[in-house]
Amino acid sequence: MIRYILNGLPIGAIYALVALSYSFIYAASGVLNWSQGDMVMLGAYIGFTVYQILNLGFVPAFFISMLAVAIVGIGIQRFILRPLRKSNAPAINVTIATLGASIIIRNLALMIWGPDAQLFPFPVSNKPISMGSLSITPQDILIVLIGILLMIIFQYFLKKSKEGKALRAVAQDRYAAVLMGIDTEQSDRSAFGLSAAIGAVAGILIAPIFFVTFNMGAGIGLKGFVSAVVGGLGSVPGSIAGGFFIGIVESVAGGKISSGYRDAITYTLLILVLWLRPTGLFLKKRKQKV
Amino acid sequence: MNKNKKIYLLIILVLLLTLPLFVSNLYYLHIINLVGIYTLVTIGLNILSGYTGQTSMGQAGFFAVGTYVTSLMMMNFDLPFFLALLIGVILTSIFGLIISIPAMKLSGPYLVLATVGFGEIVRLVLLNWTPVTKGAAGLTGIPFPEIFGLQIKTEKQFYYFIIIFVILGIYIAGRIAKSKIGRTFSAIREDDLAAEAMGVNVAGYKTAAFVISAMFAGLAGGLFGTFSGVTSPDSFTFDDSISFLCMSVIGGNKTIIGAVVGAFVLTVLSEALRVFQGTRLIIYGFILIFTVIYMPNGLVGIIENLKSKILMKKENKSME
Amino acid sequence: MFMRNKSRISALIVVITIGLVLSMTGCSGGNTPSSEKVLTIGVVGPESGGSAQLGQGQHNAIQLAVDEINEQKLAGEWKLVAVFEDDEGNPTKSSSATNKLIQESKANIIIAAINSSATLADMVVTERAGIPQITPGSTGASITEQGNEWIFRTAANDSFQADALVKHAKEELGITKIATFTSADDYGQSGANLLKAAAEKYGLELVANPTYNNGDKDFKPQLMSIKDGGAEGVFLWGLYTEAALISNQVQQLGLDVQLFGASGMAAQKLIELGGDAAQGLILTQTFLPDADIPEVQEFVQKYTEKYDMDPIPHGAQAYDTVYIIANAVKNTDSSNPEELRDALRNTEGLNLVTGSPKFDEKGNDIGKRLLITEIRGDKFELIKAIEAK
Repeated sequence: MIRYILNGLPIGAIYALVALSYSFIYAASGVLNWSQGDMVMLGAYIGFTVYQILNLGFVPAFFISMLAVAIVGIGIQRFILRPLRKSNAPAINVTIATLGASIIIRNLALMIWGPDAQLFPFPVSNKPISMGSLSITPQDILIVLIGILLMIIFQYFLKKSKEGKALRAVAQDRYAAVLMGIDTEQSDRSAFGLSAAIGAVAGILIAPIFFVTFNMGAGIGLKGFVSAVVGGLGSVPGSIAGGFFIGIVESVAGGKISSGYRDAITYTLLILVLWLRPTGLFLKKRKQKV
Repeated sequence: MNKNKKIYLLIILVLLLTLPLFVSNLYYLHIINLVGIYTLVTIGLNILSGYTGQTSMGQAGFFAVGTYVTSLMMMNFDLPFFLALLIGVILTSIFGLIISIPAMKLSGPYLVLATVGFGEIVRLVLLNWTPVTKGAAGLTGIPFPEIFGLQIKTEKQFYYFIIIFVILGIYIAGRIAKSKIGRTFSAIREDDLAAEAMGVNVAGYKTAAFVISAMFAGLAGGLFGTFSGVTSPDSFTFDDSISFLCMSVIGGNKTIIGAVVGAFVLTVLSEALRVFQGTRLIIYGFILIFTVIYMPNGLVGIIENLKSKILMKKENKSME
Repeated sequence: MFMRNKSRISALIVVITIGLVLSMTGCSGGNTPSSEKVLTIGVVGPESGGSAQLGQGQHNAIQLAVDEINEQKLAGEWKLVAVFEDDEGNPTKSSSATNKLIQESKANIIIAAINSSATLADMVVTERAGIPQITPGSTGASITEQGNEWIFRTAANDSFQADALVKHAKEELGITKIATFTSADDYGQSGANLLKAAAEKYGLELVANPTYNNGDKDFKPQLMSIKDGGAEGVFLWGLYTEAALISNQVQQLGLDVQLFGASGMAAQKLIELGGDAAQGLILTQTFLPDADIPEVQEFVQKYTEKYDMDPIPHGAQAYDTVYIIANAVKNTDSSNPEELRDALRNTEGLNLVTGSPKFDEKGNDIGKRLLITEIRGDKFELIKAIEAK
């Protein structure tokens, strides 16, 4: 049992990051970006291109990828969310438009990088360290560490920086924030840009173990969203807990119950959580905004 | 209904019934038949989202239940098509009832995700419950429907067969919309708290909307199975749910006619874009984005707007 | 809440007009001049979506074969034309694409598809239209069990592969306990059944048979349960991306098992992605780029020259398929679908990249040669070639 739980940690860290990016956009802008999973894919591909093809080193690959994907995120805010807000379109239109963006990004990636999976190894060992029946690779440890580090930086940014405070104010009450003179347009932009950058990190972290493919975003994006909702959409600690929780549930369900029904078990759990505790498993019950 | 409208309706009916005489190309007829089936699914979605403000991103799940139950009833128990279809629709609406239990407490992204989860659960069960569903290979050799000893098997026969269900579906949906239930639905969409305060059983109506939308998807599914002859879990993915939702929103989710327009335009569009080969899906994505930004109420909304503008101009002129 | 009736009607009229205009324009498309004998091959495959690498590999190889045949006039007086449609791996889109190819492009023969569910949906269309269909990529067992006389399969024969693999495991490697680990699609599910049957036939114990869904990334839970069962050999049945991930994770878990695989995952990419972990993996395939067979060498050389990458086995099978079609149309000198079908059924005497094709009464190509190979270094090395009987 313990080894199944341990095995769920690296993937859990990645779900947590993706969940964070969903939560963050939702909290700050009140909408969902359905192309978030494709930001993960883009992050991985750009990192791969910088590191493997241009040979610029691993750390630059990280930052160039974050920057480039953040620009794509801001582009989505600028060319999709802004006009939709202007025309006062219903929320469902944001869903359809970002799904449209997802189709475009995915198929552009297919044209640019081709249909084959690409290898993107980390500069650390992939050999397992065993302790009895338990084993974990240094690569897995690095993934979890970078993931947790990023979450801490992020939480710090939200709590301490001026932009972070503005974002939190908008998240709490968009209307009041406008009255207080906070530029909600700017906060939309930060939310989309930052979330995309977080997605990019998730992409690079996942790339060495899971390869890079043009359609990797669909599955990871959805699982990240599920993690966010199970943990508590809109909450940073909730999303992180949700990510690790879903990672572990999948690992245990896949190994102990049924591999074929693994995702069905995850979704059943999701529906149960939504039914019994709509605010998520890890948050105190609070009145839901109507 | 005044005389003019009756004449219009008659013309449309005659056009619809004689369509196969103009369309000799079986490929077009095949696409139109698919449009008919998708129209039924989309009507169900419009009743749900357009009338009560709920959304479903798992409609492919209901569609799948309708397809599999109807087909299996015909294949395993030799039931006639209409009886099998009836069982399919009843079972699908039971699924609608079950999913409405958590769904009526939810809204926004929570509701969306719950329905996504439902759709995926259905697909995974179809994929893994091999003894019954034949797993990934799916069902093959689904029999044709028979009416009074006449087997429906050509595209043309299917056209008439499906169009009858579509007209019936539009009629029933129209009756629901005009009835007290329909008016209550839209009251709930506008403001469910106010409706609740006025003594409306909001939960009950939301459940009803879910069940009705599931029934439409189940009906469409029953037709889809016998029309395709084969079926497999690959036809009921998350992407399929998304494309149903797109039909509903792009057409205009507040009216029944929006469902017809949405199903028609998106199905025909994705076929018409085939000439662009590799860039086809990219263009499709841009069209989706463009439409929801510049036509926030769907294609039908645009027609409405144009008309009211023309009317306004006319009125202005007459005032001068 | 409801639109007024009038606008509803006007909207409907718009819809119908669009439909009518659309159908009119479609009917006018004329065909090529009658002086030339043209055979149109309609090709359906997933050029986008999850199996895009297979669809695109198939597309390239078919175009290459068509160009060669036309240039060297290998189909007698006939000129081949290939028309390609993408089905995204979706059965409904696949059957629409097949319909389009038959009705609009007037295809005389259809090559479709890769995903078994799509191939089954296309078969309904080709059977109703009475047009021969060949699938170079779908291995699902049910395809040739439909009693459909229009379907032919030039994909590798899976029961032949399962049998050869299990036999090899027992007789050459002395393995007694095995596990299967297969994808939860038609390919993997029928593979699992064939392996189980082969294990029974050769008296091996099947200790675990987990599955995975395509697109899965974490296989360790299933691998841990395989480890607990004490399997000595693990038989994978799926595509290369998952197979490479699985071999990586087998290594990470420190599992001491011999891995086996079948032609679905046979690609240079498997070696590249699998790295160290894929070393020693034994798999059966119909096509090996370095195999010392003249037909193979010629194909690989032409393919890499034109596309600047290695062909995939699906590509080799698709390439052969075009040659089989060219041979059939040359022999009957007719594009009549029934005559084409009968000519296909009587295919013989061809020496192609993946063997000497010959169809059984169900439409399976039983003339494919089977290569048992092992990953050593950066390539597959041939252990044994089994020629078809």
